[in-house]
Amino acid sequence: MSDVLVGFAGMTHLGVNSAAAALARGFRVVGYDPDREVIEALRRGDPPAVEPGLPDVLRRHASRANYTADIADLSRCDLVYIASDVPTDGSGTSDLAGIRRLIEGVSGALARGAVVVVLCQVPPGFTRALALPGERLFYQVETLVFGEAVERAMHPERIILGCANPSATLPAALGEFLSAFACPILPMRYESAELAKIAINCCLVSSISVANTLAELCERLGAAWSEIAPALKLDRRIGQHAYLAPGLGIAGGNLERDLATVCKLADAHGTDAGVVRAWIANSRHRRDWALQTLHGAVLSKLEDPVIAVLGLAYKQNTHSTKNSASLALLAHLAPFRVRIFDPVVPATAIPNPRCHAASSELDACEGADALAIMTPWPQFGTLDPVQVARKLRGKLVLDPYAVLKAVACRAAGLEYRTLGVECSNPG
Amino acid sequence: MITHQNPSPRKPERVVLLGARGFIGVAIRRQLDAQRVPVLALTSADLNLAETSATDKLAAALKTTDAVVMLAALTRDKDIATLMKNLTMMQSTCAAIEKAGCGHMVYYSSDAVYDSAVSRVSEDTPASPQDPYGAMHHTREIMARSLAKVPLLVLRPTLVYGLDDTHNSYGPNRFRRAAQKDGKITLFGDGEETRDHIHVDDVAALTLRCLLHRSTGTLNAATGTSHSFHEVAEAVSKQFSKTVEIVKTPRANPITHRHYDVANTIKAFPDIRFIPLEEGVARVHREMLEKT
Repeated sequence: MSDVLVGFAGMTHLGVNSAAAALARGFRVVGYDPDREVIEALRRGDPPAVEPGLPDVLRRHASRANYTADIADLSRCDLVYIASDVPTDGSGTSDLAGIRRLIEGVSGALARGAVVVVLCQVPPGFTRALALPGERLFYQVETLVFGEAVERAMHPERIILGCANPSATLPAALGEFLSAFACPILPMRYESAELAKIAINCCLVSSISVANTLAELCERLGAAWSEIAPALKLDRRIGQHAYLAPGLGIAGGNLERDLATVCKLADAHGTDAGVVRAWIANSRHRRDWALQTLHGAVLSKLEDPVIAVLGLAYKQNTHSTKNSASLALLAHLAPFRVRIFDPVVPATAIPNPRCHAASSELDACEGADALAIMTPWPQFGTLDPVQVARKLRGKLVLDPYAVLKAVACRAAGLEYRTLGVECSNPG
Repeated sequence: MITHQNPSPRKPERVVLLGARGFIGVAIRRQLDAQRVPVLALTSADLNLAETSATDKLAAALKTTDAVVMLAALTRDKDIATLMKNLTMMQSTCAAIEKAGCGHMVYYSSDAVYDSAVSRVSEDTPASPQDPYGAMHHTREIMARSLAKVPLLVLRPTLVYGLDDTHNSYGPNRFRRAAQKDGKITLFGDGEETRDHIHVDDVAALTLRCLLHRSTGTLNAATGTSHSFHEVAEAVSKQFSKTVEIVKTPRANPITHRHYDVANTIKAFPDIRFIPLEEGVARVHREMLEKT
């Protein structure tokens, strides 16, 4: 066990998963959050975020964790990570007031010589503008992936570290902590690190946009994106882990934030961001796939149709609904009866007076004219298409993420539609 | 994206139709009458918007609660004189509305405000008119938007077809007339180019929905389904008992396509349905036979 005491200010999704990784790597941790309810829940072993494996890691290392709502408790820490949420508005623009207030509070509580590491998504220039001495101030790129947060926090591919002086030796506590993750550490100037985070997300979005653009073309040409994507992944220049699954646009908030930041910076500095704006437009266009498909097949054809929707979260294994494609769809289904089920998010998230909160997947399907599987929760993949067909009144199944087997659905008499393949020529 | 000022449909106290005698105006009037919405239908014979006295005359006729649908425009002539007359007509209309006020305005623009080279169009597509006709509608949109206190909807219809269309432009209307008269339909090239054709009753129905919801913003009036001119010619020829020859000619211009993303229309009216082309062409054909 290390003597280094690591603080995390903000028991957010990012903060609590990062704290869990620090615990798992053998460090003692102080988890601070001003919300007493969050702290009480953590003390009971109930984290504020849904992540596979998270409760287990926290429980196993509970003896080395101290959760507190008193910011003064951070004074004992050798280094403190700033891990608050940075909210965004509808256009993806960050509101940085909260993180500035938190950093100010943490700075006031810190012991002399303690190190501050900003871990949140901030725009280039943010860290250098903070009123803290450079030798004690760092910015670390987080690569949180909702639904895989613990795994990624525990095993980062590399650590990208923004520094006042990239050639200087790291403070001992920070050096010891980062070394525990046994991966390359890449020190660079603050602005490079801040932009590196954005660059990573731009690369991801470009892959997603390629997949979405060509998957849509597949739907018109009789090609199947599911056949093409594996071929791309075997190309060394693209890679096994490339984001090539077509989806319903970008969601979750973080990618959208970075795209908005690039556009804003490009506007301010007179550089070209046309391709980024095209990604945003493509994302908005693909988000409407389910609505347009439902409209063509059901909403424009049946009087008072009933629509079953499985999944509200923006992706599987998370409770987050930020920019969720499901919620976007449901916003436009307000005139219709909908039956909703999500394993984590309650149906009360939907302000539709004609919404039925179903108790299970099959309960949602009961008497519906169409089923839309809007979040790829793994448990939806275990649904038996025959039972689904029995419960549904209609035959249409929209499964954008292909959680069900197309062949089994068609064998059960369902009219199955997914992204990236022509519905009249499924192969 | 448009916004409904009336979340639930509510009949306007009165609709003032400017350009009520035109192809689309007549169809809107028919649907308003069916819904028993009071209409003041003004034609160029009642009120010549190009005259200087038009502002006062129209202002005197308007009530502050009226919904004004501005359809009046001179034909698609692409000369500058027509452009200027059309702008004068809009100037009179805007001045009258500014003077008398109204509760809602629907300005009937055109998809000619978009660059004809753009193949996929949504309301987010930047307006970039390429000829005086498109420039006229774009300018008239801007004039309408300058009426700060008036809730405004701009409708941009694409190619509208129907029995009473007088334009006879390349597409269902001309094909039907040519098939009837000459027994043949002549295509440019092989008729590969795709366009979105909307039946006039769908345009009128969309307008009615927007009036009932007092919708504001900008909306294209299109079906979201494009067909090649060859497909249109086939659909028309099928309506005739006699053989209609489809004649292909050497292509003089490059092939262009036009598709509409109608997501905003679906979001605004999730239960909206459009008449499929084949059905619409058949309907027009039946109406033609009934008329003759």
